[in-house]
Amino acid sequence: MFATNNDMMNDFRWIMDVVQNVDVGLVLLDRDYNILLWNSFMQNHSALSAEDVIGSNLFESFPEIDDKWFHRKAESVYLLKNSAFTTWEQRPYLFRFENYRPITSKAEFMYQNSTFIPIQSLNGETSNICLIIYDVTEQAVNNVELEAANKKLEVISKTDGLTGLLNRKSWEEHLNKEYERQKRYNEDCTLIIFDIDHFKKVNDNYGHPAGDEVIRQTARIVNQCIRKTDIAGRYGGEEYVILLPHTNVDSAKVLAERIRKKIEALPAQYEDQSISYTVSLGLCGYHPKLTSATAWIDSADQALYQSKEGGRNQYNIFQPPA
Amino acid sequence: MSNIATQKKHKTVLKEEQRDCLQEISNVAMGQAGDHLARLLDSFVVLSIPHVAILSPSEIAMAVQTIDDNNVSGVCQGFIGGGIAGEAMLLFNDTSFVDLAKLMNFEEELSEAAERELLIDATNILVGALLRGIAEQLDIEFSFGPPAILGQHQELDKLLVSESVRWNHALVIEVNYQIEGYNVQCDLLMVITENSLPRLFKKLDYLLD
Repeated sequence: MFATNNDMMNDFRWIMDVVQNVDVGLVLLDRDYNILLWNSFMQNHSALSAEDVIGSNLFESFPEIDDKWFHRKAESVYLLKNSAFTTWEQRPYLFRFENYRPITSKAEFMYQNSTFIPIQSLNGETSNICLIIYDVTEQAVNNVELEAANKKLEVISKTDGLTGLLNRKSWEEHLNKEYERQKRYNEDCTLIIFDIDHFKKVNDNYGHPAGDEVIRQTARIVNQCIRKTDIAGRYGGEEYVILLPHTNVDSAKVLAERIRKKIEALPAQYEDQSISYTVSLGLCGYHPKLTSATAWIDSADQALYQSKEGGRNQYNIFQPPA
Repeated sequence: MSNIATQKKHKTVLKEEQRDCLQEISNVAMGQAGDHLARLLDSFVVLSIPHVAILSPSEIAMAVQTIDDNNVSGVCQGFIGGGIAGEAMLLFNDTSFVDLAKLMNFEEELSEAAERELLIDATNILVGALLRGIAEQLDIEFSFGPPAILGQHQELDKLLVSESVRWNHALVIEVNYQIEGYNVQCDLLMVITENSLPRLFKKLDYLLD
């Protein structure tokens, strides 16, 4: 490989220069996990010079490394003479290096992918392990941000902006699913639909911003009254729907009445005006004669119509044909 | 003459003796892998007879259709070296994570992240053990990429049927691992790219002479 001793020294210098300056972390360990090589990348990011760490034990110098985990990983490398990997998605980092770019990086620390490489000695035994540390902060941050943005978009696309309740489309998805489930299992499940009485008058008398507050107040009361398993949505302008799984009409009646009373008792506050209002409700429990999810809503709507006819501020229950 | 040329363009043909040779190489590699794994995992590893075939992407997709099942996890790991490249896919069927953790001496709590790490570590070990043996016999060395879990970021069926698949056929070596005394069972598919095949066949022919 080397023509003369001088050439050998030169080649060695070049190799060491490359090892020192390559933009990944390189660490060489012996069988007892003592550090034998610590290149510039590692020195710069750890603020520990080669003299500080060379010869010291990895786990003593870097207590953040879980030694049990590391041993398990490294032993497979020694035994199988096979590289091992860890990515930032399994473990964000092997060495904790603080973020060094105050302006362009949002991460708190350096995300790392690491590879454990078996190094053979002259007699063919795997005597050492080389760790390669890759800085993947940018990739990790982008990935995390993308996932967060997707989650946010998903929430936005499902909720009604004014009230935070489910919007009509996503609530109907729940209804369709529940309808299919009921068709198969025929358990108790009740649908409540209600709307605000004379809402047009609220808008006309107090203005649209006040009307919006009434819409929001109603949603707040619904959220206070329902249980975690109930699914509430804003169905239209001043129309609300609640799906109550595992709930028969008798129990749903109690909830409907609670909502009605609470709304009657709590006027909405807008600027210095206090706006009293009421709601009318219609209920329909699932029954096998319902031919579709839409028929279920229609039936509850008929009961709501009865409440309007009956003088408003009340609930009615749809009576399925015998 | 032109007939053979067109045939070659559309379908890579695996000669009988090349297939036998590959099967033999895989057999030997598996024997070694079984021995290494037994020592590392301290348990007996049952390996099936390797199955060697040239398959199209849709045929591979069909072979691994079970991955849609919730009980199956898939992990892929790329390898390249000596002009031969490909991806090893490991499908864990009916594998109990608790058993896998026991096998791998994993004593921490089994969170979702821990399960992913277990899959990746197990894949790396099982794939590495086998490919090392194959590489040795072919007198090449593979370098490996980090294993990636399928379904986490990419759905397998979409990967294999999508129009972005730029190859027609690949050489597939299929092996089944079973670890005695544990509820751990997996299929390993080594998918070697079309481009690597001329060089692989040359190596095989050399071994056959």
